[in-house]
Formats: sequence, structure tokens, C-alpha cells
Amino acid sequence: MFVLLKGLRHARREIALSVPAARGSLALRHVDAGSCNGCEHELAAAANPYYDLQRHGLNIVASPRHADVLLVTGPITTRMVQPLLIAYEAMPEPRLTAALGDCAVGCAALVGEQAQLAGPLERVLPVDLRIPGCPPNPEQIAAALLDLMREAKQRVRADRSRSWSPQPRHPAAKA
Amino acid sequence: MSVHGREIVRALSPARILVVAPERWRAECELHAQEGWRFCGLFATSGAQQPRVSCVLARGGREHVLSTSVPTGILDTLVDLFEASAVDEREAHDVYGVRFHGHEPLRPLLEHPSDPAAWTVPVQGHDPYQVAVGPIHAGVIESGHFRFTVVGERILNLDLRLFYKHRGLQTAAEGRRLADGLAYAARACAACSVTNAVAYAQACESALALAPDRNLRRARTLLLELERLYNHLNDISAICAGVGFAPGSMAFAALKERAQRLNQRLTGHRFLFGAVAVASSELRIGHVDARAARHELRSIGDGTRSLWRELRFAASVQDRLGGVGCLTRDDALRLGVVGPSARASGIEKDTRSESPRLAYGEFAPVSVARASGDVAARFDVRGLELEQTLALLDDLLDGNLTTGAVKSLGGADCELGVSRVESPRGETLCAVQHHGGSVVRLHLRTGSYANWPAVACAARENLLPDFPLINKSFELCYACADR
Ligand code: SF4
Repeated sequence: MFVLLKGLRHARREIALSVPAARGSLALRHVDAGSCNGCEHELAAAANPYYDLQRHGLNIVASPRHADVLLVTGPITTRMVQPLLIAYEAMPEPRLTAALGDCAVGCAALVGEQAQLAGPLERVLPVDLRIPGCPPNPEQIAAALLDLMREAKQRVRADRSRSWSPQPRHPAAKA
Repeated sequence: MSVHGREIVRALSPARILVVAPERWRAECELHAQEGWRFCGLFATSGAQQPRVSCVLARGGREHVLSTSVPTGILDTLVDLFEASAVDEREAHDVYGVRFHGHEPLRPLLEHPSDPAAWTVPVQGHDPYQVAVGPIHAGVIESGHFRFTVVGERILNLDLRLFYKHRGLQTAAEGRRLADGLAYAARACAACSVTNAVAYAQACESALALAPDRNLRRARTLLLELERLYNHLNDISAICAGVGFAPGSMAFAALKERAQRLNQRLTGHRFLFGAVAVASSELRIGHVDARAARHELRSIGDGTRSLWRELRFAASVQDRLGGVGCLTRDDALRLGVVGPSARASGIEKDTRSESPRLAYGEFAPVSVARASGDVAARFDVRGLELEQTLALLDDLLDGNLTTGAVKSLGGADCELGVSRVESPRGETLCAVQHHGGSVVRLHLRTGSYANWPAVACAARENLLPDFPLINKSFELCYACADR
């Protein structure tokens, strides 16, 4: 146990994330809509001792009910559209959606007009944040999410008098 | 040509394609089964007028492809000869409409009917009930659906429903030049990207009667082992997470991060994307970089060893691993399980020892002292294989590496090439059929595809809360199976 903890302390000394920690927090819920697993690996890696997303208030949560942001990976297969929409509907307002990786953003080289695909994400849900890369590395993921957190905070502050809703709802989201 | 040269040519000769009449299909396959040939995969193609079905069998480094046309749309099943072919036959039915006489019921695989009775195994008994999990799981995991039939906490049966991530990559590759088709195989899965790409490239080269030169072999072997390194570190981290041991999980995640940074330094990509090509290799590593990489690998090795020792003596971890998720040797053989999971059940087979197109030399698979087939054994295999991989990498990085190429074997072109490569989860088969240099059919049967039925088998009779651990001890990719 001692060796384990010492190793972790060592890793933490080399923390790669240069972004200054912002105050606040975002709860993230990830949905894989047909990725190659690369984006998942990098998102999970963002929680490893080198990047330690949690330190910045970014937590990956188990239920969409607890989430502020829906992080979607993959080119959105037809079979994942329904589960994705159900997860989105389960989230409390205000809610944000992020496309993680080129596939979800819609600029991946391989994602053509296959009949099995309904994506990219913007065809299915309103997209608030795009994190390009194939896959984006943990640093880019963390930096993009921290920017989103800052921006969301400003918007909330500006809209404090009204009840805040980020975007007009996309028709597909009601389906 | 020297005797040695002739041997190499024989070892590299393409798979033998045996065209059989539809009524002889089963008999021929049965003959092969009796002669000890192992089932490696079955796939259908649309063919000119009627679908064709091909079955790949291997014995001692040689492959036979039995191929038949299916004029009536019905073919005799092979499931009683090779149980592993069950999934393949279901896929051939769902995509190409081939039916299999004697495979009853032929449950849908790619189709997702809403009635569970259409795709689950009926379970009789006193008060069994179903627990449905997924396709979205709690955590950063891929999508797939599990339906458990349980009594209390005990799992009586597990039905898997995958293919939520089916992207049609195989069909999307059709019609493209052979060199361009590689991306579709590679991007099927990030964690097995090198394996899939190498399997594809070798299948093409085998069809075109080309042999890799020494540099090409070395480059590909290096990439394959770099892939195995970060995957095995990841799998150990995942097993620790499965028992809720955060320090172990995080420490191995940190080692995985170091391995991936090394990948970035050597190839320019953390997942080694884009490092494999058909018939060539652009990978160049100079003396200085190779020495630095060896140094970093030794340090990763030291870290791994000391952490591994810690885990060995962490009683709260070890206590959770033994006797959970047992896969007996008989079941593993019956289901055609491959890779570390098979070796943990006492099947000492590793495709690396029969890969003449790669630089493995005299490779011997690891043997586990206690091949009990449980989570503990699968855990131990990962540890042993890490040692092996680190030693191989140390060898492969001895000296600089320059670009690789192919030379002609002098044989005639063949329409179909097959290749088998050991991925971090087991043997991956890639079959490429081409016409004039364009892909006609690409079929990828990955280690994960082969092993998913074993997860269902190993989960039986275990407690439901142990399932995440059992699942993580196999650590299969969904993306690899769904494609
Ligand atoms: S963006 Fe790249 S890494 Fe991410 S899912 Fe798509 S292919 Fe995979």
C-alpha cells in the first residue's frame, strides 16, 4: 500500500494540466453512441493521477439525473439514438450537450453515409460544445470542459433573473 | 533457393481455399474437425448471383478456407461441430440472409426485436426474474445490453445484446482500394487498432503473394507489443477498479498513461493510429530515440513489478479474485475462447507462436501456475504477459529502425487473403476478398467477438454484484465486436 501511494504522489507531482483551476463544478454523464472506444479511453484517462479532472470540479456521474453535461462520443449509430434521447430527457434543466471527438462532431474521415449512422450529434441533439480530435487527448478534453464551465457560469449569472435555458429545444429531442 | 528460404516461403504461403459443393459442406467441415482443425471464423459474402459462405480453419500455423455457394439460401449448420460458429451464423443470417439448417432457434444478433422472448434463452424454475442493464452503463464504458435472469442475487443465465455500436464499417470498406480499406479495419476499435490494421495488411499481402521484409516485420511486431503493453496495464487497472481498490486502479492508470505517452513519442499518436500501412512501414526510430524508449520501458517495467507485488499482498484485493467467474478448460475449448482468457483456463495457445509474418521468433505462450479459469487466473496471466511484452520490446528496440517494404513471393494473386494476429484479447482473424485491387469483402473477427459468449458462460452461477468484476477480467471491446 505504501508503494502504491508513493507512486501516486509521484505522478501527481508531474500533473500535466496547465489550466488554472476554476471554481465551480460540472457533473458529466458520458454516452457512447458508437465510438471506437478511443474517446472513452481518453475521457477515462482525464481522471487518472496525471490530469485528475476531479481536482477541477469535473465529476463523471453515474446517472443522467445527476448530470449537467451530456458528453457524447461516436458517430451516433441508429441503434443508439433512442437510448441517447432517453438519457437526454432524463437530465434536469439547465443541461448542456457536448460532442466529444471527431466522430460526434462530424468531421471524422471514416464517417460517411452509412445507413447504420444517424449522426453526427447535431442532427440528433442541440450541441453546446464541440471537442474535436481523434481522439482528443485528456488535456484537450479537460481544457474544453473547463472553458465550458466558465462560460456556463457567466451565462447563469447573466440570466439569473430569468430561469435559464441554454438553447431552444431541438425537435428531435422531444421524440 | 536454400532449404531455409523454401521453408519460409511455405510458411508464408496463402491459406488453401477449398471450394466445396453445398451438400458436401458439413461433411467436409466435419472431416476437418476430426482431423483436429480449429474453427477460426465463418462469414458470408453476397456473391454474384447467390450468397457464399466461407469457414476458416487452422491447424499448426496453416489455414484452410472452406467455401461454398448457397443456391437455396439454406446451409447445414456447424454449431454442433464448432459451438463457436453460433455467433458467426447468426451474423451471416442477419446481414446476408443465409439460413442454417439445424441451428434452432437462430436468434437475431444485429436485429434488435423489442420482445425479449425473441432473443433470450427461456429459463425455467422457481421465481426467476430478469434484470436488464444497458445499453448505457454507469461509467465511462461502451454501450451494450445485458439481460440477467436471476434468483435472488444468483445469475442463472445471461443474454447479451450487442451491436448497438454497429457502424457498418465492413460494408463501408467495400469498393475501396486495398490500401484505403485499412482505415476501416483499424478504426473499428482504438484499443485493438494496431492488431486489426496488421491483420488487414497481412491478409492483403497474403492475397497478393507478398512477403514482408525484416524491417516491416520488426516494425509491426513493435507496434503490436506497444499496444499490448498499454492494454494490459489498462486491464489490470480495470480489475482493481472492479473490486473497488482505487489506489491500485489509479497507479496502473498512471502507468498506462506513461505507456501511451511513449506511443506518442515513438509514432506520433497515443493509440498508434496511422502507424500501419499495407505493404510498407514508414516507422523510423533512430538510435537515440530507441535507447530513450528502452530506458522508459525499463522504468515502466520496474514500476509494474513493484506495484504488482503490492497487489499480490493486498489481501482485500486477492480475496475478491479467487473462485469468481470460473471458465473451465472444457467450456473454453467448446466455446473457442482465445487469448489471455483461454490461457487462464489452461489452453496454452497464442497466435504469436505461429506468426511467420511477424518477428516473434521462437515464441512460447505463458503458462499460468494455477490455470483455474477464474478472475484470479485472468489477472495473473496479464501480469505474466506484461513481463513477456516488456522483454520483447526491449529486444525490438535494440538498434535503430528504418522503413520497411515487401518483396514478391513469386506466386499468383489470390482473390482471398486471411490472416490471424494475436490482439491483447486474443486471436483476431481478418479476411479480405478483393478484385483487381479493390475490396470486395472485408471480414474482421476479433478476439472480443470470439470471447463474448465466454463472458456469459463465466457469469453463470455467480452473484450479480460480481458481474462487473467478471466482465472487467475479460475486458472485451464492444466496438471490436460490433464494427
Ligand atoms: S473520434 Fe476517433 S477516437 Fe473518437 S470515437 Fe471517433 S474514431 Fe474513435
